[in-house]
Amino acid sequence: MKPLNYAVLETFAQTNEADAELVMERLKPTYGGFRAFSRKNIVESLMTAAANGLLCETRCIRGFSGELRVFYRATDYGREMLANYL
Amino acid sequence: MVEGKVPVAQAIAEAGQPASDVRSLKRLADRAFFRKGVAVAVLSGIAYGLYSAFVTVAMGEGVWADWYGTNAAGLTAFTIVYVLGVLGSGINDSASALWAVAIAIAKGKISDFLRCLKTKPGVVMIGCAIIGGPIASAAYIIALQLAGSIIIPITALCPAIGAIIGRVFFRQQLNLRMGVGIAICLVATVMIGSQSMSVDAPEGLLLGCLIAFIAALGWGIEGCVAGFGTILIDYEIGITIRQVTSGLVNLLIMMPLVCILAGNVLLAPDLLGLALTDGPSMFFFAISGFCALFAYSLWYKGNSMCGTALGMVCNGAYSFWGPFFCWIVLGVIFGQDGWMLAPIAWIAAIVMFIGILLIAVNPLTLFKNSTKESA
Repeated sequence: MKPLNYAVLETFAQTNEADAELVMERLKPTYGGFRAFSRKNIVESLMTAAANGLLCETRCIRGFSGELRVFYRATDYGREMLANYL
Repeated sequence: MVEGKVPVAQAIAEAGQPASDVRSLKRLADRAFFRKGVAVAVLSGIAYGLYSAFVTVAMGEGVWADWYGTNAAGLTAFTIVYVLGVLGSGINDSASALWAVAIAIAKGKISDFLRCLKTKPGVVMIGCAIIGGPIASAAYIIALQLAGSIIIPITALCPAIGAIIGRVFFRQQLNLRMGVGIAICLVATVMIGSQSMSVDAPEGLLLGCLIAFIAALGWGIEGCVAGFGTILIDYEIGITIRQVTSGLVNLLIMMPLVCILAGNVLLAPDLLGLALTDGPSMFFFAISGFCALFAYSLWYKGNSMCGTALGMVCNGAYSFWGPFFCWIVLGVIFGQDGWMLAPIAWIAAIVMFIGILLIAVNPLTLFKNSTKESA
């Protein structure tokens, strides 16, 4: 099993785009029991990765319950970093 | 714009939803994230000030009061300056490591901590801890002894060094406005440090300044690389790695090393045993270790959330918070003389605030917004 933050970012090496909900859906079977596995934490991880140029935003929509859903994809720089470190 | 980023308005239009609604939500989320990053970085500087104050209290209590005062133990000048400096730093970081491990256990992150140790970013974090912990701290203490407080402005170069490293290796933003902001913060630190500068140049001035630069380089590297590392590693796990590494290296490697230089390797277990069994000082080391935990973890988190340049200058305000909390804790609470803040420190705090503001916000944007609002 990999550390949670790794797994979150690794999702973007395997998919074209994703948002916090999709990342959680994908990781829930393995990390569902983690206390740090919350939407708030995942959203913050994704925004931090985007602020540092590893991810870039692709689109924003409102979810069924009215929440903001921001989708990201890995940048070339992000893919290079992920390949080097993960 | 970040590479490949689709304009939000276009993306929203493609999704077929009311653009203004989602756009304003997105703007609010971005603003909240940025504000949180700045708040976290500023809090790290405040925690650093508190840690400095309590570690000063701890190193003046119990056996430490004798070592630094009457010196009934008969320690040499070298031992008092270098060995006790490393011992104090090592006990503080070890106490901080115990807090970090306890918090990681309480939050269910301890297994992630063990997993991270075996990974590449985990090893990088250990390297940062050694560079920023024992190496930079020891360089700072030695430089202070060789050249006096004139080295403080040199060590205050660390935000500038961190910002340059961030620009070169991590493609972080660094423009002229941010450079001017960093320079203003550096001037503010020089203003605070100037209070204790002596006119006579000591013999080891040049060597002291060079060694002080090693400290600035060490902290610059740590802030930038470890800050970036917290994208890949949870910041609470990152700080656990940092404090465990720094505590162990200080007590098990640096301490025997400086004791050998002092001419008696057995000093290491003797002094460590006396310090660890001294209740009054250990009580304050527990508090300073707790504050150090937040000083470093929030520093890393702030740097990763708002970029190294802004994160490090917000943290660098510790050059004000340190003397401020020493005045509150040692001067006001413990009633010791000589901790009162000079007026120049308050002026420097305002100058520093202007510098931080300049890095965080483009004043032209503020001006444009206010013109729009008035129109």
